[in-house]
Amino acid sequence: MSDLDRQIEQLKRCEPLTESEVKALCLKAMEILVEESNVQRVDAPVTICGDIHGQFYDMKELFKVGGDCPKTNYLFLGDFVDRGFYSVETFLLLLALKVRYPDRITLIRGNHESRQITQVYGFYDECLRKYGSVNVWRYCTDIFDYLSLSALIENKVFCVHGGLSPAISTLDQIRTIDRKQEVPHDGAMCDLLWSDPEDIVDGWGLSPRGAGFLFGGSVVSSFNHSNNIDYICRAHQLVMEGYKWMFNNQIVTVWSAPNYCYRCGNIAAILELNENLGRDFRVFEAAPEESRGPPTKKPPPDYFL
Amino acid sequence: MEWESDETELKAAGAEALGGGRLGFLIRGWEIESRKRSILSSSLLQQWEEKLQTSHLPEMVFGESCLAIKHVSSGIKVHFNAFDALCGWKQEALPPVEVPAAAQWKFRSKPTDQVILDYDYTFTTPYCGSVSIEKMAESGGGAPEESSCNPHWVDCQEQIDMVALASKEPILFYDEVILYEDELADNGVSLLTVKVRVMPSGWFLLLRFWLRVDGVLMRLRDTRMHCTFGESTEPIILRESCWREATFKALSSKGYPTDSAAYNDPGVISERLPVVMRKTQKLIIT
Repeated sequence: MSDLDRQIEQLKRCEPLTESEVKALCLKAMEILVEESNVQRVDAPVTICGDIHGQFYDMKELFKVGGDCPKTNYLFLGDFVDRGFYSVETFLLLLALKVRYPDRITLIRGNHESRQITQVYGFYDECLRKYGSVNVWRYCTDIFDYLSLSALIENKVFCVHGGLSPAISTLDQIRTIDRKQEVPHDGAMCDLLWSDPEDIVDGWGLSPRGAGFLFGGSVVSSFNHSNNIDYICRAHQLVMEGYKWMFNNQIVTVWSAPNYCYRCGNIAAILELNENLGRDFRVFEAAPEESRGPPTKKPPPDYFL
Repeated sequence: MEWESDETELKAAGAEALGGGRLGFLIRGWEIESRKRSILSSSLLQQWEEKLQTSHLPEMVFGESCLAIKHVSSGIKVHFNAFDALCGWKQEALPPVEVPAAAQWKFRSKPTDQVILDYDYTFTTPYCGSVSIEKMAESGGGAPEESSCNPHWVDCQEQIDMVALASKEPILFYDEVILYEDELADNGVSLLTVKVRVMPSGWFLLLRFWLRVDGVLMRLRDTRMHCTFGESTEPIILRESCWREATFKALSSKGYPTDSAAYNDPGVISERLPVVMRKTQKLIIT
């Protein structure tokens, strides 16, 4: 058994790699990812997965439902890390699979694959806690810069983490972005990872936060039409039912973190496309509590004031 | 793992479980119940949007979760739910808070058909609990009916006895119920929760609205209620509201850290936020 296969087996048991193993893995991954296009071509059949957010044991449920990689060809739409308890193991397992089976798994970047966001929402602290230093966080966030920004399945299904950008009307415009950088605060690359579809606008909307685009049905129609695609598949937003169509089946949100943050009680979904691009949403629930690692101790009474 | 009540302590205090799949206890003439459910489904969310006349709700609305504390003989019921809290948000309708990136965005070229949304995405609410009177119908049936009595809160001189509450009396029942939560699209957190603890001497609860807009501001709106178990027909419930707020800029000028990760736990940092409003009230029935 090769070192990599052994590492994959270890990660599947939710046991993290050593710091030096992570460093070596990231170097190999970088060589593969640097060759990928900003609009990475993906062949069908493929199974599309949305946000995971460090919910390792729930991702194992995902693989139970969708099948193991490399038997199943996977496309993950980003947000592997933050919020959940096992961002390290989750991301490293996906990355190890990528290095082992580069043509059977595609990973694209989510807005959480960023230095700034991971410092606030958990991944940075988790690395520090599990390794006693931030080196692993550095290796991983350096890899984030190499992740592709979108994928195109059989020229017909456009996949991205967040959504569209007013600065982008053709796929070729995405192809020209220099992606090897921290996610910027504005511009096309930022929008692809951050924006959301919105029912109450038809064209473009600006979030009340003063940053962040929202796009309506006519924006999606004209994008799909001019790029000759059937629909857009994206993640980024929690949906109680695991997936949600909008704008007359022109865009679908897929969410793959069941019982999000271990408290929402939502269902998760993955989207299986067969060789003819026929669709099958597979829904699944969170891993039972007893299978999620050692039980935690009963907390002491909370004398809150 | 959830906190669990101690059976012997409950028995010694004369508490009885509610049973029938309900989580809570009947103790010293009070029925204390918490209910924790999943977030609302898309279709229910849509119904709420129509009822509240809004097209935006927090991404996690625990609409079927609640905490209810009822004084059985008088029918006075203090309860906490997301719907009433969101009615408060809708009514207060604070102007939106711009995130730091907004400054840069002002220089972006704008799509010609751009609409600027202007609702309060922080879901800030003045909510400090709901009160109703539920008398059991006299003639059989047993279904609760609304009473004509009118409960309301009046300002008072009394204060919640925090010293007594700090004593380590046994906790017979403890729970925390999240009412709603929003990640502000990864720009911070907006969270409304209520915690309760029941001791042999009485019950105490904390309803907390916690907001952190990364790099901009923090807002804490706490409502505490305390009631000492007694023999009187009408219980004395004290309610203290304390609102705190500070901008990251103001904190930095006082030498406090300004990275958002330092502000994950409102309990730890609340003292750093200056008080903007504080009052204590008492529940009166007329």
